[in-house]
Amino acid sequence: MLEVRNLTKVYDDGTVALKDVSFQVEQGEFLVIIGLSGSGKSTLLRCINRLIDPTEGQILWNGIDVTAAEGAELRQIRRKIGMIFQHFNLVKRSSVLMNVLSGRLGYTQSSSLFYRFSPSDRQMALDALERVGISNQATKRADELSGGQQQRVGIARALMQQPEMILADEPVASLDPVLAHSILGYLETLNQEEGMSILCSLHYLDLVQRYANSVIGLRDGQVVYRGTKKQIQSMTDEEFKEIYGEEAIRVGVGGEI
Amino acid sequence: MGMRTVHRDKKPSLVPPPAAAVASLVVPGFGQMLTRQVWRGLLIMGSLASIIALFIWRVNGIAHREPTLLAMINRSLQRRPLFIVIVLIGIVLMWALNVWDAYRQAQPGKQPGTGIFILIAVVFFVLGWQISEIDLEKAVVELPDALPPLSRVLWPWEAAFTRETETVSAEAPILSPCDDNPPPPPEEIPGEPYLVAEPTCGDLSDLDENNDVIPGTTLHLIGRGFAPNTETQIWWEDPIGQEFRVRKEGEYLTVMTDSEGSFETDVVMPYRLIPPSAEGRLIHFISARQTSEVGGLLPSEPLMLTIERMVETIFLGMMATAFGIVFSIPISFLAARNLMSGSWLSLLVYYLTRTVLNIIRSIEPLIWALIAVVWVGLGPFAGIIALTVHSIAALGKLYSEAIEGIDAGPIEAIQATGATSLQTIMYAVIPQMIPPFVSFSIYRWDINVRMSTVIGLVGGGGIGFILIQYIRLLDYRAAGIAVWFIAFTVAILDYVSSEIRQRFV
Repeated sequence: MLEVRNLTKVYDDGTVALKDVSFQVEQGEFLVIIGLSGSGKSTLLRCINRLIDPTEGQILWNGIDVTAAEGAELRQIRRKIGMIFQHFNLVKRSSVLMNVLSGRLGYTQSSSLFYRFSPSDRQMALDALERVGISNQATKRADELSGGQQQRVGIARALMQQPEMILADEPVASLDPVLAHSILGYLETLNQEEGMSILCSLHYLDLVQRYANSVIGLRDGQVVYRGTKKQIQSMTDEEFKEIYGEEAIRVGVGGEI
Repeated sequence: MGMRTVHRDKKPSLVPPPAAAVASLVVPGFGQMLTRQVWRGLLIMGSLASIIALFIWRVNGIAHREPTLLAMINRSLQRRPLFIVIVLIGIVLMWALNVWDAYRQAQPGKQPGTGIFILIAVVFFVLGWQISEIDLEKAVVELPDALPPLSRVLWPWEAAFTRETETVSAEAPILSPCDDNPPPPPEEIPGEPYLVAEPTCGDLSDLDENNDVIPGTTLHLIGRGFAPNTETQIWWEDPIGQEFRVRKEGEYLTVMTDSEGSFETDVVMPYRLIPPSAEGRLIHFISARQTSEVGGLLPSEPLMLTIERMVETIFLGMMATAFGIVFSIPISFLAARNLMSGSWLSLLVYYLTRTVLNIIRSIEPLIWALIAVVWVGLGPFAGIIALTVHSIAALGKLYSEAIEGIDAGPIEAIQATGATSLQTIMYAVIPQMIPPFVSFSIYRWDINVRMSTVIGLVGGGGIGFILIQYIRLLDYRAAGIAVWFIAFTVAILDYVSSEIRQRFV
């Protein structure tokens, strides 16, 4: 459903963030991208929904070239791709409900400009909050919630898009390990029960081994590793160091080292 | 400049300790410089030089008639012994300490002491005391002078209310000069006040060629039917309608009515300069008046005026804030670095806007008011212009910093949902901007109301305008009313604005 072909991104200051990256995401896949900070993971995810314009290459979403899409066409593509972020990116001073409802903006007409939503949209937002277990927090301000709760609001917002795929940029990097499993658990449920494709960047190998269907490893903007679920389970420290560099030490999540 | 550790190994001195000491004896600080402590030497040299210069200036001010410096110091010593002695001892001590310090600095491994700098600070303090004419003795001795105005300002409420008055009066005609047909006394109506003069005609007082007074006819006044046991004033009205109170031996004539409301008194007809056109048979009136307070308390004129001006002040501040907000919002976008860093041209606009805002902001509203008064004349409009100009600069800076502080994350997140750019602004930008904007605007209104009381002092309208008038008229009670109202308003506004701001941030 998503095919990335020879994607290259060079920033204005000359930094090469991505270099000739190609891969595919199949319907219902849980693809994890691993790599050091600065290896190009965030840039790659943001190129897919064009928050960043790639320099070269193609991104095919259900056969449509995302890199060439503009205006209404681009928005149609974006609304089918949900996104969650490391720092949650909620509007802190707005209510939880309003943050969730804003996920519906790709579908609504101009009435939403004045913060008005149809009753069905509101019901949908409450249902989404119910699904992530925080329906009792709907009227609170977003910044009154804990980090884990905020990320669940982020997921609820993505659900409002009725997405076919979710991009998750380091969704658990700001959370402690217990919450990390809780958040990734929601993504896994969506992946397994609703067949949503998940494209997620992660840091910890233990989490990768636990949740990924397949993995690509990025280093200096290039794909240096591709592995299936099976290959990941048996990944050695040598392969790990190949991706993360010689200085890397394997740090476990949940106590195992 | 970043933090640097100061503890370095001292470089060795260029000269041996005695040579450094001699150098500092001749030119203070020079010895320290020779030991490679250049800044220390310059500081000592500069301090001592300015202390001596300031000392000579003050001595010259105290005894400027003396021909030589020594004579001046001598004379000053008689007038301000304490000041002269302390500073002279200070200078001598500093000089000596400076020599010792140079000697010490030239020795290897000695850490620089701070004693000489403490002494410098003390001498500067003594000079400052004298230059700024601090006089504690006067402050204590003449404190009683300040108490009456102070007590009136602190408790002005006696002047805040008045009572309505009622005047009871009766008058009688007086012909001057007399002719064959003097006017009859007024008819007595029972129950009404009644005044009769005997005789009903006579001559006014006059002046002879030596400007001595020739007394006029003495009139015997009998009054009846007035309020009993009440002060009664005697007034005179001349044929051209001018009224004045009659005097007796220089004092205003006041008589007390008896228990039946009657009185009797003698009045010498006053001196009046009658214009030649009014020559002939002229009728004057003499009257007796009783003024009594009736009814309840009424707000006095200063109180009413203060309330009116206070309302004017609040609205003055509000209008200036409103104009300030309207103009500063577009300007704040030009002064936000994250919006303007696109090209060198926009960056130029950014720096230009920032510079102009900083210059405007650094000029006090009081000075803007002086300019505005020249421009549009005295009154609240001048105050509004002054405060608006300053508000634009202050709010422009605060708003632009709020824009610079916007979190890009939510913008990214809303874009990713497939929202249009207008929706992105409404959902990701505006919600982030409104709380600081509201907070800054209310804070500014608070500042503007406080400022407008000061702006009035230079003619910018509002309550400050009448406050300065009352102070100049030495009407401390009225001034006190204005001061209290300013204090009430500022306190209330301060509370309200902080409450509102807390809800928004």
